Amino acid sequence: MAASSRNSRRRTRNSHLLKGVFCLVLLPALGTAAIFEVKLPKGLDFILQNSPTPQKYLIETMPGGVALLDYNNDGLLDIFLVNGGRITNPMHMPENFDRKDPRYWNRLYRQNPDGTFTDVTVQAGLANAGDGNYGMGVAVGDYDNDGYPDLYVTSYGHNILYHNNGDGTFTDVTAKAGVAAGGWSTSAGFLDYDNDGKLDLFVTRYMEWDSKHSKICGGEWKTYCPPEEFPATTSILYHNRGDGTFEDVSQRSGIAARKGRGLGVAFADYDGDGFTDIFVANDGMQQFLFHNNGNGTFTESALQSGAGLSEGGRRLSGMGTVFQDYDNDGRPDIVVTELPREIYGVYHNEGGGLFSYASLATGLGALTSGTSGWGVGLEDFNNDGWKDLFVAQSHVLDNVEQIDPSLHYREIPLLALNHNGRFEPVDSGATLPVAARGAGFGDLNNDGWMDVVVTVLGEHPQVFFNRGGKQHWLTVALRGTRSNRDGYGARVQVNGQTRFATSAGSYLSANDKRLPFGLGAATGATVEISWPSGIHQKLNNVHADQFLEVREPEHP
Amino acid sequence: MIHLAFCLWLASQSPSPEALRHLQAGIEADKQRNVAVAIAEFRKVTELDPALPAGFVNLGQAYMESHDYGNAVPALKHALQLEPNLAPAHLLLGYALLAQGYAAQAIPHLQKVNEQGALGIAQIEAGDLPEAVKNLQAALDKRPNDPDLLYYLGRASGLLSKQSIDTLLAGYPDSARTHQALAENHYVLRQMLQAEKEYKEALRLKPDTPHLHLELGLVYAGASQWDKAENEFRAETRLQPGNAEASYRLGDALLQQGKAQEARIALARADHLKPEMPETLYALGKAASLSGDPARAEKAWREVISVEKESSLAAQAHFELAGLYRKQGKAAEAEREMQEFTKLQNSAGQSNGPR
Repeated sequence: MAASSRNSRRRTRNSHLLKGVFCLVLLPALGTAAIFEVKLPKGLDFILQNSPTPQKYLIETMPGGVALLDYNNDGLLDIFLVNGGRITNPMHMPENFDRKDPRYWNRLYRQNPDGTFTDVTVQAGLANAGDGNYGMGVAVGDYDNDGYPDLYVTSYGHNILYHNNGDGTFTDVTAKAGVAAGGWSTSAGFLDYDNDGKLDLFVTRYMEWDSKHSKICGGEWKTYCPPEEFPATTSILYHNRGDGTFEDVSQRSGIAARKGRGLGVAFADYDGDGFTDIFVANDGMQQFLFHNNGNGTFTESALQSGAGLSEGGRRLSGMGTVFQDYDNDGRPDIVVTELPREIYGVYHNEGGGLFSYASLATGLGALTSGTSGWGVGLEDFNNDGWKDLFVAQSHVLDNVEQIDPSLHYREIPLLALNHNGRFEPVDSGATLPVAARGAGFGDLNNDGWMDVVVTVLGEHPQVFFNRGGKQHWLTVALRGTRSNRDGYGARVQVNGQTRFATSAGSYLSANDKRLPFGLGAATGATVEISWPSGIHQKLNNVHADQFLEVREPEHP
Repeated sequence: MIHLAFCLWLASQSPSPEALRHLQAGIEADKQRNVAVAIAEFRKVTELDPALPAGFVNLGQAYMESHDYGNAVPALKHALQLEPNLAPAHLLLGYALLAQGYAAQAIPHLQKVNEQGALGIAQIEAGDLPEAVKNLQAALDKRPNDPDLLYYLGRASGLLSKQSIDTLLAGYPDSARTHQALAENHYVLRQMLQAEKEYKEALRLKPDTPHLHLELGLVYAGASQWDKAENEFRAETRLQPGNAEASYRLGDALLQQGKAQEARIALARADHLKPEMPETLYALGKAASLSGDPARAEKAWREVISVEKESSLAAQAHFELAGLYRKQGKAAEAEREMQEFTKLQNSAGQSNGPR
């Protein structure tokens, strides 16, 4: 067994509080206390510049992503935030977006040991986001297996692959790697679709849109146009050749056979055949489930699988998505966020490659039929052994209240705890409605309790620090050897829970790659890992409340 | 038609030969749609035989055909001075006066010939809305596909409704019904907070009023507040156990909250109270499916298809059946249902959510 542990850096607060007599008075209040404390850490001064205009350019309402990654391997999660850009009214050709102006930079914030953040964008070499690129999303993965996470930033314009040099700096290697894409890219993610030990790259693209062909919809209301107003387009799959370059295999793999309006992407092996499959959240149309045939090709099978449409066969305004097991049956399920009156889609994996629509059965009908969701995560926020649901919410139209007073542009996020597969709403701690978009999930302060960073149009991000509790936990960090170094695509089971290793999912965002498990009252765990290489690894009697790094055996 | 009737009546008259010649020339010109010549000929008739009502009636009609109602009216009135019971003159004069906006003056002429359609229209203008509704409904019974009659009946009913509500609001401002009416108005305008407030006040004043809980429940359902909607629909079903819609709405609210078993009971009751309602059957299928009874779900969705056949609800039922068969391993049946779903979806188009 190649495993090491790291103790929690911060003790939970409630255990201290409960010792005090004073606390007895507060107990009723604590019983209903919010899960999170929402605060902006010192130094995190980013403002997402989406530049809304009366012209209602659709890109304005769509950014931006956030990544939680430990770029310098100091054990602390850092935060990368994608910025939009400046939009002139009307937009002039060539589109510029003023990305050289520091207000419009993407930003990397290094976390300091005291929990504050330092903007290291310039010294990291990330200041230049490229004129003509209006930023959208971010993916994180160690594509060259050198032990340092690399960044892939998507845009309306061209995308940028930043190689992590391992010394606190990044180098733009887009041209050499051949992954600039073009058009309007949205969510992206690294995965190893052919299990060759090298991370490949999947890029969703929204539609064929450009400022010259922009429209204003909604008649007198003047709104952003619905996606049906613009032609659909293809997603892109890049195969990692292993020499620092990628090959566009979209056609050969079958990914380009279907045109969609992709906004979100998530990965998991839904049918247990050992190959990672791809789910794409499409806006205003059928969703895509690309089944990995195991031979370098994919078959889009959402309709046949039952994960393509909503209840009654209605189309969804798919935006964010997550592909994890919410009911602890060992099979990854799908959640898709969308617009009001649609209900966020929950597709329960029935086995045998089939999904059933489970939004009503899981309680989301009552929770989400009046809200709009973007970034989404299935994470165990109270460490009780069941993955809960967090959704960053806000309507797509900034004037929706004028059109329908029952809807809201700014919303508070949805936090719903999972009780045996049914979601019940609880107070997230957020009181201020915002125009939220991306959401990244990770344990920012290494206390074993999952935190969230949410991006907000025109404002600072919201950071949701988990207040913690008494339950036990275990966080697994994978170190692939035969498999890709990040272990993406591994299936990890801990005490009856299952996670599929990935940093992708949510909306435009990348999550902490470590795999958290809530253990409830259990003080120990059994950990089983099915690596993408096919190696199966089992660890018994693992102590709770630790960060466990597991190295993949070199030999089966 | 008027010409034909008039010709029969004319046979009983005795115009001079010259007047008769001009009369026939005028009728011929009118047939040829040469209205100017017809007017000249008919005017000649009235000059040659000023005591002949037919000359004035034809002259009035010719003026009306050229939309010259100002000249038509005196000619027709003159005809009626000569022959007070001349039905074609009353009819034409009623039309002409109505066309010129003299609705009150048109009414006795239209009443004389029992022309209920035009009479109803004139009564709308004159503000006699109850009589207007009655006459327009009678006219529509005879000509059910007349777009004008359909429009004016709708207008008269709407105005009558408004008149009644205005009287209610002015005369009984603190009554439960006034608050209900205000609430309904807010609901139509999607002013949900105000609607909720008014419904609650109406319920406070008169708790047992039928439909109040149902309508308040719809306000909550529209805002996706399903738990509150459930409470109101439940209250309505207690008040009106025989109201199928209340049971259906309760079932739907329960279904939206994932309370499948309870939903099933309410929907089954709605189905019992009012069978073959496609929405009820579709929801019943969902509730049965969610509560683990695929056989009942299949039966309900099949019933939807037998009732609806090609509607969007039928498409949804096919889609749900496909999922059900897929789960049961019946691939061929699932594929067949998906084909039906796709066919109906393509033919009907599909609206997406609000954007």
